[in-house]
Amino acid sequence: MADYAPVDLAADNLVTFELNGRTVSAPAGTMLVDAAYAAGVEIPIFCYEPRLGPPIGACRMCLVEIEGMRGLQTACSTPVTEDMVVRTNSPMAKDAQDGVLEMLLAQHPLDCPVCDKGGECPLQDRTFKFGPGKSRFIEPKRHFPKPIELSSRIALDRERCISCFRCVRFSQDVAQDGQLTMQERGARSEITTFTGDAYEARFSGNITDICPVGALTSIPYRFVARPWDITNTPSVCGSCPVGCNTELTTRDGELKRITGRDTPNVAVEEGWLCDKGRWGYDIAMSPNRLSAPVVREAVGDRTVSIEDGVAAAASLLTGRRVGILLGGAVTLEEAGIALDLATNGTLDNAVVARLGVASGNCAPVRAATGAQLGDIDAADLVVIVGGDPAAQQPIVELRVRKARRFGARVIGCGARPHALESLGDFTRTAPGHLADGMMGLADAISNAARPVVLWDEADLASDPGAIAALTALLAASPHATQLMLGADVNGVGLSALGVSTTGLFEAIAADEVDAVICVHADPLEAAGSIAWQAVFDGFRGPVIAIATYASAMTERADLVLPALTMWEQEGTLVSMTHRAQRLRPGAAGPAQAAAGWELLIAIAHHLGHPPAYRTAASAFTHTVASHPAFFGMTTDLIGTDGVVIGAWPADDVSPAAIVADPDHLVLVATRDTFGDDMTARSHALRTAVSAPVLRMHPATAQALWLNEHDHAVLISDVGSSSALPVLCDARVAEGLIVGPLGAPGSPIEGALSRNQHQAIVRVERT
Amino acid sequence: MPILNSVYRHREAGHVLTELVAYRAAGGFAAIEQSIGEMEPDDLLYVFHRSGLRGRGGAGFPMGRKASFLPKDAKLAKYVVCNADESEPGTFKDREIIEMNPFQLIEGMVLAGYAIGADRGYIYIRGEYEHQARVLDAALIAAREAGFLGDNILRSDFSYDITLYRGAGAYICGEETGLLESLEGKRGQPRLKPPFPAVAGLYSSPTLINNVETLSALPPIVTQGADWYAALGPEKSPGTKIFSVSGHVQRPGNYEVVLGETTLRELIYEHAGGLREGHQVKAVWVGGSSVPVLGAMHLDTPLDYESLNAAGTFLGSGGCIVMDDSGCIVRATLRLASFYRHESCGKCTPCREGTNWMERILQRMVDGEGRMEDLELLESLFGRISGKVLCALADGAVAPVASAIKMFREDFVAAVTDGGTPRPAPMSVVEVR
Ligand SMILES: Cc1cc2nc3c(=O)[nH]c(=O)nc-3n(C[C@H](O)[C@H](O)[C@H](O)COP(=O)(O)O)c2cc1C
Ligand code: SF4
Ligand code: SF4
Ligand code: SF4
Ligand code: FES
Repeated sequence: MADYAPVDLAADNLVTFELNGRTVSAPAGTMLVDAAYAAGVEIPIFCYEPRLGPPIGACRMCLVEIEGMRGLQTACSTPVTEDMVVRTNSPMAKDAQDGVLEMLLAQHPLDCPVCDKGGECPLQDRTFKFGPGKSRFIEPKRHFPKPIELSSRIALDRERCISCFRCVRFSQDVAQDGQLTMQERGARSEITTFTGDAYEARFSGNITDICPVGALTSIPYRFVARPWDITNTPSVCGSCPVGCNTELTTRDGELKRITGRDTPNVAVEEGWLCDKGRWGYDIAMSPNRLSAPVVREAVGDRTVSIEDGVAAAASLLTGRRVGILLGGAVTLEEAGIALDLATNGTLDNAVVARLGVASGNCAPVRAATGAQLGDIDAADLVVIVGGDPAAQQPIVELRVRKARRFGARVIGCGARPHALESLGDFTRTAPGHLADGMMGLADAISNAARPVVLWDEADLASDPGAIAALTALLAASPHATQLMLGADVNGVGLSALGVSTTGLFEAIAADEVDAVICVHADPLEAAGSIAWQAVFDGFRGPVIAIATYASAMTERADLVLPALTMWEQEGTLVSMTHRAQRLRPGAAGPAQAAAGWELLIAIAHHLGHPPAYRTAASAFTHTVASHPAFFGMTTDLIGTDGVVIGAWPADDVSPAAIVADPDHLVLVATRDTFGDDMTARSHALRTAVSAPVLRMHPATAQALWLNEHDHAVLISDVGSSSALPVLCDARVAEGLIVGPLGAPGSPIEGALSRNQHQAIVRVERT
Repeated sequence: MPILNSVYRHREAGHVLTELVAYRAAGGFAAIEQSIGEMEPDDLLYVFHRSGLRGRGGAGFPMGRKASFLPKDAKLAKYVVCNADESEPGTFKDREIIEMNPFQLIEGMVLAGYAIGADRGYIYIRGEYEHQARVLDAALIAAREAGFLGDNILRSDFSYDITLYRGAGAYICGEETGLLESLEGKRGQPRLKPPFPAVAGLYSSPTLINNVETLSALPPIVTQGADWYAALGPEKSPGTKIFSVSGHVQRPGNYEVVLGETTLRELIYEHAGGLREGHQVKAVWVGGSSVPVLGAMHLDTPLDYESLNAAGTFLGSGGCIVMDDSGCIVRATLRLASFYRHESCGKCTPCREGTNWMERILQRMVDGEGRMEDLELLESLFGRISGKVLCALADGAVAPVASAIKMFREDFVAAVTDGGTPRPAPMSVVEVR
């Protein structure tokens, strides 16, 4: 992983010092290890990991000689100063490196041939580079039961541990889950959890990335591959709107592992991933993965080849007025091609729409200076308006905790209680009344030097008063920046392409469409499912589902074309911070499946309108780069780090405002990344799944004659939910019910209107 | 060879001073009355400075200097922390202060607190000192009731109280930053320095941390004057120092002597009553176990910082362990190596692995499995442990081993050639787990 911090050699506070006889420079205050690395000199390290906070100087691997200082100094904790004279390769420094490595290896089992870290192990690499040729330690080494399951996802081989404390610091300081600790002392020190229970935490997998030896390894990756028979591909995670930068490990065309990148994207995830993004990929192998096209006929289902499936699709579409419905996670290329086919004469005047939250009315907020997640680090005030970031956009939690660690104040308001509220002062507001909560934040924002306001897309879009209030707050502070906590994985990208959330439903209902293509979209499992079900019940034309997993819509469709997952295909996603980033394939996927964009191009060919593009990159150029937000952009330009897109004209669609009043109960839906249908189907994440519940204040429950664990259904004027257990939580505002969006079986979607995340409901006990 | 019971006021008084009235009758609290609200804090600090008092916990850093490192205008709270972890082998001087003369420590902490403008004091007492903690707790309550602690001490503007905190049993919690971690409720492990506690100590606030004996030396310095103290013993590091004498002596115990005016021989043969009939001194660890060992040829060394340094060792904590010629230096060295292996916190690689390695090698020598090259191997490890780590524990672990091999090399060679060391009857080696 990223062991050394990036150094800005163009900074204006450079100091010049001597390093092994050369004159080099680095910004004042840079740690010597980082400055040296930037100057091409590797000072070996183990415990140092700049992302974990200030150095702790434990492993003593980085000892160097500095003129004028007694003995040797730890370069990881020594900032560079003007005219410092440093020697990393003097006899004294070399003897210290030799010595520390000999000590580290003294009790180390040296079982590299059977160790998963072998070949990509910092201990191995640094021993080769800096270490002694042989060990003089002839005593018996320590032994532990091996391996221990630290959790169902992480194996712990204690004898390999070199006590660098990185994992403990990650748990204590970065994730602040407070679970990992070192127990016993000295040579008997061992990593464990405080309670002895499994390390269950949403960011736990990061410790397998930062462990510099094979002590902490991923159980799903155990004995699966070797560094010399894998390829690593930089990609991004499409499991939530954050868009963490990832690296996909492929062996024999199969995805074997996802890790943070060696060179993290400091503007986005800083190398950390949540466990969903790291381990959730096994759903691509789950039983309900679609692997071959299915033609549904009166006599039954018929499985066909992908070529025949595409041909069948073309014939179903020929001569029909087509509607295309896009899911919230489709790529820019897929959406761009759909729009292109709808306007270039291939599919005459097709209606293209998407599922998801519309937030065109938030344009005034968006117009204020935007921040990237990395900018939160430097904030002195973090304001969270609405939302539930820890559940919906997991990595945001680590960023906010980091800012807090650096001394930022954290404040906010909102209807839903969330994990970050414990970091500061938060006020509870009723749905539709965010503006009331924001009044209390105004002074803090205007007094702050670098305030960053995180605002929830869905909450703001359905609360016009809040948009006005936040716009005013941002305008009042010249330093304030804003960052949207987005609702849909590619929601920003799709709206920047002008894909609306409306139009298609109405067109189907009005009989203006004769055929529908759903691209990674299942309206029957989305908010407003009851209304969608009704229009599809009345719809006589063919429905084509381009999808990866079986769902209500693939059961209903007349033709199912299996598509590739985000780990198997190329494409571009725009994150909630407006960052266009590239998906790159790390697995081949089923033989009879293809990427959504390939399927659309193939259909166009069959319809006799071969498009001018064949690859994802040229599809981007032809169909995406023509939209204002993407002018001049190419996939090359996006590169591996992503590019922030430009502005686009907002549409005027917005969800209905829902304003709480004392006489009504309001349902607010949260899409918990670990509570959704995908997580539920992952084997690796089986112990991380959060169960679907209706969360409400005990007083609300009491008023409804409900006890905790009772089951209840929510009934709105559009439909009703399935029965879910009640969970009492005094942090929820009275009169509010927080329900799970996207949970297995879509339990609450029936009570919501289309593209809404809130509803006025009645509650019935079952 | 003068005994001067300045810290051990109870010895001077002839009875324990655990009752507040008794302490007052013996002249106690006069220093507080003389200074709190009466003197400028800076002037009091200057008194400490001029007295020449050095830290008695082991490192011997000048007390007044350390106190003057605390920022004067700090916006953060400031703290005084008393190091009562006393876990250096052979050291039991603080225990007697707390047990018999607790108010003098409290008085010293109030003086130190006033001088630096502290908000609160903490006493970190080793977990095994259960009885002593109770005595101290009672004394704190009595001092509070009498107005020597709490709000507006003696009706001055100075408010200050002391919290007693019991450790959980780790030598490393005596190291000042390990202590602070433990006091904050964390795993006791030394911190990277800088920042030093004077700048960022307890809860990252400026903190003065001193040993029990150091703080207890302050009241007499205030009442009798810095000049009186500075005139005791050697010019550079004056004052009295308590030596805890243990091992093969007739009268083990604590002896408070004027620095530089007593030799090691006088300490052992006169104060501690000499050795058993027919036995000679073999080895002495004069400043606790973390210092280089001395032999019979060093007996005429005067007991003060400079003379002991010249003899190749340190005054340390003053825990003077005496071994006569019935003892086995190889076994004794192994015993100490085991202690440090057991107590290394495990943070730094060289200390964690090196203390373990040294113990294993010495164990083999004692068991008759030593090799001649083990001596060179051991010697090559010293420099790779000492000075390559975060705290002084590792130096303390190396010092007794390195010095023993240097001074008693023939004993180690014999252990290798004779197939181990015979188990000497009187000195049993207690296994540490
Ligand atoms: C491993 C180790 C253990 C120590 N144990 C103690 C102790 O038990 N009591 C003590 O006063 N100082 C102990 N010290 C010294 C302290 O770190 C610190 O120097 C001392 O408390 C400062 O007080 P002083 O200046 O009054 O001596 C220890 C140091 C080390 C490295
Ligand atoms: S398990 Fe790995 S990360 Fe944790 S302390 Fe050991 S070596 Fe370091
Ligand atoms: S936070 Fe979101 S983008 Fe990042 S790894 Fe988790 S699910 Fe993926
Ligand atoms: S030197 Fe030893 S005791 Fe001190 S911090 Fe390092 S490992 Fe811990
Ligand atoms: S990298 Fe510097 S001490 Fe570990």
